[in-house]
Amino acid sequence: MKQLNELATPFATVAESSDLPGQDLPWLQALRQRALTQFSTAGLPAKKQEDWKYTSLWNLSQHPFTHQAVESTVDAAQVEDLALLDDAYRLVIVDGVYVATLSQLDDLPVGLTVCPFSASLDSVKQQLGQQVALDKVGLTALNTLLMKEGVMVHVAADTVVDKPIELLVINSGATADLATHLRNMIVLDVNAQATVVEHYVGVTDGVNFTNVVSEVVLAEQTELFHYKLQQESHQAFHIATLAAKQAAGSQWHTQNITLGGKLSRNDVHSRLEGEQSHTTMDGLYLLNDEQHADTHTRIDHLVPNTTSNELYKGVLNDECHGVFNGKVIVHQDAQKTDSNQYNHNLLLSRGCAIDTKPEMEIYADDVKCGHGSTVGQLDMDQLFFLRARGLDDVTARSLLTHAFAVDVLARLPSETIRQALSAVIEQRLPRGEKS
Amino acid sequence: MLEIKNLHASVDGKDILKGINLTVKPGEVHAIMGPNGAGKSTLSNVLAGRDGYEITQGSVTFQDEDLLALEAEERARRGVFLAFQYPVEIPGVSNIYLLKAALNAVRTHQGLEELDAMDFLTLVREKLKLVKMDEDFMYRGVNEGFSGGEKKRNEILQMALLEPTLAILDETDSGLDIDALKTVSEGVNALRSADRSIVMITHYQRLLDYIVPDFVHVLSDGQIVKSGDKELAKELESKGYSWVHAEGPAA
Repeated sequence: MKQLNELATPFATVAESSDLPGQDLPWLQALRQRALTQFSTAGLPAKKQEDWKYTSLWNLSQHPFTHQAVESTVDAAQVEDLALLDDAYRLVIVDGVYVATLSQLDDLPVGLTVCPFSASLDSVKQQLGQQVALDKVGLTALNTLLMKEGVMVHVAADTVVDKPIELLVINSGATADLATHLRNMIVLDVNAQATVVEHYVGVTDGVNFTNVVSEVVLAEQTELFHYKLQQESHQAFHIATLAAKQAAGSQWHTQNITLGGKLSRNDVHSRLEGEQSHTTMDGLYLLNDEQHADTHTRIDHLVPNTTSNELYKGVLNDECHGVFNGKVIVHQDAQKTDSNQYNHNLLLSRGCAIDTKPEMEIYADDVKCGHGSTVGQLDMDQLFFLRARGLDDVTARSLLTHAFAVDVLARLPSETIRQALSAVIEQRLPRGEKS
Repeated sequence: MLEIKNLHASVDGKDILKGINLTVKPGEVHAIMGPNGAGKSTLSNVLAGRDGYEITQGSVTFQDEDLLALEAEERARRGVFLAFQYPVEIPGVSNIYLLKAALNAVRTHQGLEELDAMDFLTLVREKLKLVKMDEDFMYRGVNEGFSGGEKKRNEILQMALLEPTLAILDETDSGLDIDALKTVSEGVNALRSADRSIVMITHYQRLLDYIVPDFVHVLSDGQIVKSGDKELAKELESKGYSWVHAEGPAA
């Protein structure tokens, strides 16, 4: 049997033939070269690696992907339909290509820069790749090797951005078996505040592969509200790494909602490097059919007086498989850490499965930490109560499922975004007769 | 309106109801009293359509329909209302949403238009006064963090809004202090009418001081062993349930 890294060579050869940005930048070429070396050695992660125990990339490695997109036909009306938010600064990427005419970046306020990654290479030079480890996961190396587009958000010191920024990534289906490698950089300078939505959506039910790395850099006293909504095709492969470094007093609130994808994997990582910094890391995976979604999170408390809250919920139906692995590491110096981490799962069918593992590693002695996970079914008493009030069985089940799921949105400060996400979740639930 | 004939029901193979006979006419208020384990809650659950009970014999007819053939939600839409002994908390589903969904389910069944938001709110506010509840409760999760009394008032609020033909009050007095008991009773009394029947299930006579029944039945070991008027409840209160046991099943 061939090894996974051998099977991954088609990806590696793409680097030589494709029109990647920054060919004239020696530092970027050097970075890509390092990535190539790393990827050639490590290849794609295999199941024997503990972090990939439940997720096989075999089918991904076997699939004949193309990296050349043909022109798509997505128009402005479609973008309006697909976008999560009406009133937002919006950068639109279709099939891996930035589309200026579909984006809304004309009236950016002073202090805010939102531009395509390919056009901002010089400005991201200092921070690019600093938040992620090339050698840890082959997919980050692959992304670094082939990264072509994405969004760069920069918020200057003391700037409070007035509207959310939505990165809308559309897979139109125009190119069958398209692979895209996106890199996003979100950088907030001292005392800045912003809201960023990363939104991935598939228009058709075709196969595609999205490999995205998002890096977040939060300077002192910044606050970033960050939402990721993944609604790709149920045939799609979606691999995402999201990593943040947080300086003193910074607040990162991230919400990660997985609805699409045949196989999806999210690695979310925050490093609390400055005192009084805080991470809220919430998420939801709502799966059916034969979807497989794997979430690995990690929060490093590195200094004293930092806090984190984490709540991930899963709703699983049909024959799907969910994986949650949450790791909180309280390092030796990180006294007075206050951290809690929970993962709750609702199983709606006999055929679905969840592997959940919340973990805490604590090396400091004066900390407050709690964690736990649950796996359960709908509450029969609640269900009977609703039916005894006239709601049909399907509606009652959907209502209870929705209530379970949207709990992860409770800590979300923006009513507009909460309602938008809540509506998206509701659409995914089975509908009963009109009641 | 409601006719229960020789009703036998079991749970997990254990017989709980052993031949209940009861006829309730429009506008009547019946109290069913009995000691713990007599089958009171089983009877209310069977009437409301909860899963997990096997009907082994007998029949229940509600407005000329076979009630037992209907799903719980179908019974609710036809006007059967169960006020729960232990109303569940449903975090994430707001009270107002529940009320609206429940009312629209009934109205749709009756061939009526759904109420628009304004009319609905006006109606809810009117009913809130009846049970002395603050409008804030509407926007909280169903029963979430409610006290025992608030939960029971919420049940009566739902009853007031849905205007059932048959209301089954399962131990509505349990867990209530005297003030809450008065409020809940006033709510129920306000809903008494010539075309609405009420079956009250209770362990204690106390509730019957506030909601005066037309008939009182004593349930013991799955059977109605004695029936009478409100005086029977008082007799029970003074003599205890052992008194009816001693007399044996009604002829």
